Amino acid sequence: MRKLAVNAKDCTGCKRCEQACIAAHSRSGSAARAALEQPEAKTRIFIEYEAGPVPVVCRHCVEPLCVSACMAGCMQKDPATGVVTNQGHEQQCVGCWMCIMACPYGVISPSAEADPAAGAKFAVAIKCDLCPDRDTPACVEACPMNVLSVVDVPDPSAIA
Amino acid sequence: MKYVIVGASAAGAQAAEDLRKLDPEADIQIITEESGPPYSRCMISRLADGRLRESELYFKTAHFAEDRRLRYVSGVRVERINAASRNVVCSNGETVAYDELLLATGSRPWIPDIPGRELDGVISFHSLKDAKAIAARAETARTAAVIGAGFAGLEAAYALARRGIQTTVVERCGQILPNQLDAQGAAIIQRDLERMGVRIVLNQSVAGILGPGRATGVALADKPHVQADLVVVATGTEPNKELAQQAGFETGRGIRVSDRLQTSAPHVYAAGDAIEIDDATTGRRMPSATWFNAVLQGKFAAFNMAGRARVYSGAIGIQNAVQFHRVPAISFGQVLVPNESRENVEVLSQTEGDAVYKKLVLKNGRIVGLVFVGDIQKSGFYGALIRHQVDVSRYRHKLLDRDFSYAVFAGGPQFGQRSPYRNLAGLAS
Repeated sequence: MRKLAVNAKDCTGCKRCEQACIAAHSRSGSAARAALEQPEAKTRIFIEYEAGPVPVVCRHCVEPLCVSACMAGCMQKDPATGVVTNQGHEQQCVGCWMCIMACPYGVISPSAEADPAAGAKFAVAIKCDLCPDRDTPACVEACPMNVLSVVDVPDPSAIA
Repeated sequence: MKYVIVGASAAGAQAAEDLRKLDPEADIQIITEESGPPYSRCMISRLADGRLRESELYFKTAHFAEDRRLRYVSGVRVERINAASRNVVCSNGETVAYDELLLATGSRPWIPDIPGRELDGVISFHSLKDAKAIAARAETARTAAVIGAGFAGLEAAYALARRGIQTTVVERCGQILPNQLDAQGAAIIQRDLERMGVRIVLNQSVAGILGPGRATGVALADKPHVQADLVVVATGTEPNKELAQQAGFETGRGIRVSDRLQTSAPHVYAAGDAIEIDDATTGRRMPSATWFNAVLQGKFAAFNMAGRARVYSGAIGIQNAVQFHRVPAISFGQVLVPNESRENVEVLSQTEGDAVYKKLVLKNGRIVGLVFVGDIQKSGFYGALIRHQVDVSRYRHKLLDRDFSYAVFAGGPQFGQRSPYRNLAGLAS
């Protein structure tokens, strides 16, 4: 199973991961133009600060609380890849924000509004999806300090 | 191994799913009074307002039973438990034997003894059936009244308003969401609903529902009548504890369970709205009554039923997320502080204009409650600090700052994994 590993001590806080995340999840593919899109693309990785900058991003938990909290059933952990996402399932996100309430890392956000152009009736929760359409997540590719990397972790069901 | 689960909502369905994962060979049977696959009770308002179809409420998909190889018996009531001989007697006359039994019987609307409650056009708002009844009535209704401004009542009111029906909510207390929010947070949500066209009448009790024959309005104690072609009664819920009670198991307001989710009887577990919990933030015993708790309890009960001990303790009764119109809100733990000095409680709050309000309630250096209205980003992180009883004294000066985040604990414990209620009290001290 894939997971994002964070080696925060080398982080300089350049925020290229945030820009790359926005671009990768925008319609235009550009962070600059994404700001003008409706709804505005938002970053799913966050440069926060303690002593220094720390990227905070979804851990794709073994037993994700966002999944347990989801009243629509759309937030799921893929049994094969381990990726936790509310997109691409039979059940649809209706923007109830239970996942935002449940996520201990505070890395799930509400989308600005329903996206009628995409036929959406509801605002939706947005979070890291590990960039399913790319070989390497955009944030990992963009990081000049190799703070972020994709690692393979054992299937959690084996250690349950 | 034969597992029997009574109820197919959040707790029952989750337990079935986890039992299947834990025991691929087990015989798992769900018995539910309702018809159809498990549906999300929290989403019925979106069916009532026409945005979702019934099949879009199926939170485990339409073919859950086949996918998980469950025996799924719907439209059948369990009438009695014979704990000594380990079986249940059903309304269809069948007796079903179990090795381990889970009672996930949920809750039902509690309706006060208002004159006229039996009239045609008076509907509660708790089930898919209720939502369908409201949707059907809404085709012709022009006016509606909702009694009770809790979550269910406001969800109903919002759905009716979305359908263009002139809707009035009547609430006995001085604020909406009296059990979930404080007055300041509630006022913001109230304005949001009013902008949607919902009329809200506070501090007013209902004298009766007006007839004759079918509902035509609601009589208030000391205000003019509210005209209504449709009356939704949403005055709270009560746990379905009778099955356990009649079997002689320990019950209070709900079914009593141990920290393994076991009832006072061997081989019988209970989870979800039917049980009561000891709230870790207030110390009070209360009905469980939230989707999130029900799912976690269903999961933990499944592990215990399968002989894989998992302790469920430190539960929190108030964990709510809501957005009716434009303003999102989250409340968590002890949000109301009745007597600050006596309880040695400290309150931090912050407002941005009239749209954003954030409040933290602190006790002994730990956060025990929060209200976030208008800006709910990172609320889950604060929720984790509450659940894990983390000492935040060192961060007291910046708890509501924008840059207070999980980063301060990065490299530390994995908050979200496996034991959401594990006490991490020593973490930051």
